[in-house]
Amino acid sequence: MEHRIDAWLVLAVAGILGASLVTQNAVSQVVGTQLLARQLLWACAGMLTLIILSRIRLDHYARLAPLAYGLGLASLVAVLFFGEVRSGTRGWFAVGPLTLQPSEFARVATILMVAAWLGRCSGRRLSAKEAAGVAALVLATAGLVALEPDLGVTLTYLPVAVTALWLGGLPRWAWIWLVILAIFVGVAGWNTVLKDFQKERVLTVFNPERDPYGVGYQVRQSKIAVGAGGLAGEGVGQGSQSLLRYLPAQHTDFAFAVWAEATGFVGATGLLLAYALLLYRIGMAAAVAESRFGLILAILVGGWFAFQVVVNLGMVLGLLPTTGITLPLFSYGGSSLLSTCVALGVVQSVWRHRLVNQ
Amino acid sequence: MEIREDLGPVRLRAIMLLLTVFILFGALHVRIAQLQILEGDHWRAMAENNRLRRLPLASVRGRIYDRRGHVLADNLPTWNLLLFPDEARNLDETLLFVAGLGVTDAASLHTRVNQRGVDRLAPMVVGENLDWQQVARVRSHQSDHPELSVVAGFRRHYPFGAATSHIIGHLRLVSEDELRSSVNLDPSTRVGATGIESLADDFLTGQAGERWVVVSAVGRQLGVVRENPSASGKDLAVTIDAGLQQVAAQALGERAGSVVAIDPRNGAVRIMYSAPSFDPELFSGPLSPDSWGELTNDPRHPLQDRSLQGTYPPGSTIKPFLALAALTEGLVTPNWTVHCAGSVILHGHRFRCWRRGGHGKVDLEHSLEASCDIYYYQLGQRLGIDRMARWLGIFGFGQPTGIGLPSEASGLIGTPEWSRRVRGTPWYAGEAVSVSIGQGPVLATATQLARAFAALANGGRLVTPHVVVDPDQAGFFDLDLDQTHLARVKRGLESVVHGETGTARSLAGLPVAGKTGTAQVVRLQEGVDSKDLAPHLQHHAWFVGWAPLVDPEIVISVVVEHGGGGGSIAAPTAATIFTAALEQSPGSPSNNGSQE
Repeated sequence: MEHRIDAWLVLAVAGILGASLVTQNAVSQVVGTQLLARQLLWACAGMLTLIILSRIRLDHYARLAPLAYGLGLASLVAVLFFGEVRSGTRGWFAVGPLTLQPSEFARVATILMVAAWLGRCSGRRLSAKEAAGVAALVLATAGLVALEPDLGVTLTYLPVAVTALWLGGLPRWAWIWLVILAIFVGVAGWNTVLKDFQKERVLTVFNPERDPYGVGYQVRQSKIAVGAGGLAGEGVGQGSQSLLRYLPAQHTDFAFAVWAEATGFVGATGLLLAYALLLYRIGMAAAVAESRFGLILAILVGGWFAFQVVVNLGMVLGLLPTTGITLPLFSYGGSSLLSTCVALGVVQSVWRHRLVNQ
Repeated sequence: MEIREDLGPVRLRAIMLLLTVFILFGALHVRIAQLQILEGDHWRAMAENNRLRRLPLASVRGRIYDRRGHVLADNLPTWNLLLFPDEARNLDETLLFVAGLGVTDAASLHTRVNQRGVDRLAPMVVGENLDWQQVARVRSHQSDHPELSVVAGFRRHYPFGAATSHIIGHLRLVSEDELRSSVNLDPSTRVGATGIESLADDFLTGQAGERWVVVSAVGRQLGVVRENPSASGKDLAVTIDAGLQQVAAQALGERAGSVVAIDPRNGAVRIMYSAPSFDPELFSGPLSPDSWGELTNDPRHPLQDRSLQGTYPPGSTIKPFLALAALTEGLVTPNWTVHCAGSVILHGHRFRCWRRGGHGKVDLEHSLEASCDIYYYQLGQRLGIDRMARWLGIFGFGQPTGIGLPSEASGLIGTPEWSRRVRGTPWYAGEAVSVSIGQGPVLATATQLARAFAALANGGRLVTPHVVVDPDQAGFFDLDLDQTHLARVKRGLESVVHGETGTARSLAGLPVAGKTGTAQVVRLQEGVDSKDLAPHLQHHAWFVGWAPLVDPEIVISVVVEHGGGGGSIAAPTAATIFTAALEQSPGSPSNNGSQE
């Protein structure tokens, strides 16, 4: 039997998309390209995809997971050879007038695959082999994205692995080791992989006035824009910071700052509430799920989604370093929007195909 | 799928995760409240004093040096006025203030501001080459007009001015197309428009830089966000001899025409002057419509580079090449003679010699010395138009010389085939008779003639004239001429200057050989003397020759528009330049140009 789609979740998505379109339209005047029409098209396609995918029975997703994952891997390999390069990252396919970013879709496939893998593990905790399987599944796709190289998107694969291991269950000693490993990788990475400008970004978080016109510039501009919004905002399309282009990457990474400057504390709170509502409804879908696959699938999507929201807002508000992680459903970008809607559609399948009063 | 799994532990962990997320959301909300409510005023004040500007950093264009190290193109420091239109509180008032400075007029400024692109951070250059009073006025009103900024820039300066304006060239503003195709270009960027400035533009142009700065509400610079430093262009040494170029300019004086001199050993251009000339620095700053109109409406067309674009009938200067052609083809011998009675009837028309009384018996050397037209009418008849055209082509007529400068004219060699294809009218046999004395459908530039005479001077090698030494360039093309034939022709050309009946006896004191030419603009009617013609119908005067006689080092080609006779006008002009060239380079090894 099939239940109705979750109206609260659809409402939250529509609210976020609406706020996003208002923001993109305001930004269009500044950056000089019409962002609205494209993003509107993507938003409609996304909503449609969400509704269609929610009707597909959950066990189909479990069965199709390996196929989706295989396609994801193949597209990530293909893009390394045939992809378009944008600012040093080979990560896009040109399809007619559109460009698709396979790393966004491969993440949904990875979530499906990991959920299917964990769905078969029935113990209270994961065995070493099962945990290794999770790690291998995520590392394979994330590693290919890292080769593009796209640091921001690679990072968004991290919450998938962590959430999966958390849900699957690891003994306490394993977590201790993971934390030690994370610290070790962090220190090693700091000294080898990270470039000077990336280190500067991290240091700037702890000391915002470190280099206010250099590395700290973006975050400083972002904080000025958000703060200047005040209680009620300066009005859509009015904020001096966004309008005069002092704010960088305002249609993508820093889109929230544009919104916050325009609509103030009221609007920012409203948008944050919409995200909270969305996550709460994902949690509700997980709560009613009667299968391990469904439950884990919903929480993996929620975990990843929450990670992006927290990391992006943390960056915009000057709490976390700039990493190039976008705000899902809000930042400009078709692939990100569509893949998010695919993930939410699958979550809605969990919700619609729940068993009640059996 | 298995129903009623034990989902308890997973659910518990999921709930813990959700709680963590909501705690984080709470923290974010607190942060938003802190920034917007608690610190709102602080950040708003910051926003007031937070103006980002993109300042262009001018790159220094490479200097151009002549072969002796004189600077031909230099850069002078100057003050420019920038406007950041989006920062203006009252743009109209600002524009009035700028117009009041006298650097530009309000109307054109308005148009430019309204048509500016979308890049709002980029300033507009609203004034160039400000004087101290203008700078002082802007500075004293800085707090009223923080959107205005005086910055240092460079202005192209040509120390030799009009004497080198065509060959060195001048600058122009980048076009709309170039702006669209390159993101690094600023609308106020100037690039090479003509001459060497255009030929070597990539070499001379540096990389413009930019500096992003944050300024306060009153325009004070608070800090530098990012800087891409500019890179200077490279300096260029050219083969031009600025001293000789000046001599040529003075020798030509007020008359229209051009002087081209090349080193016959390698093709290096020493002089390339076109008159009338103009001040190339007019184009280094904003060009007023008045000056532009004056330049373009001048009936003497000062902007035209006559040395490369001016095509004239070569007149008698064509004769040595036809003589060489006929000798090589075996159609005449050096001792073959023609009797010149002042005119001859060919194809039913009477063709005249320039000397009404005739030259009498004329052989090859004498035909060159006295420039007898009858001899060449007869020689041309033996050669025929196709062979004449082929041999003129061998010496580079009718095709660009390959100098590489923009808009070089090809000149023309008329043939029956050309007449049919291009002109669309039948070819008349009489036209070939005219061609054999360099009249009618045959046109050449002074540069082409200098190159062709260089091939005679250097023993039969066709060089490529050049102003910039290119190591990859093929030095010359060997025409494989018969040296005894060439020696006869050269002896004839020496007699032009040193012979008793030579047409260029005014040069007799110099070790020069060459040929005069007088190209008719209109055909003279019976009984009309050329001296009675209106100035614009007067003949074009030519002299092309080389010096010294042994191992020639310079070939000079002079054409004077409507100058009258080659011997009376062009040859004395050439004499002045030859004198200067021989003084500068008395055959001493250090000055003979072999280093190029």
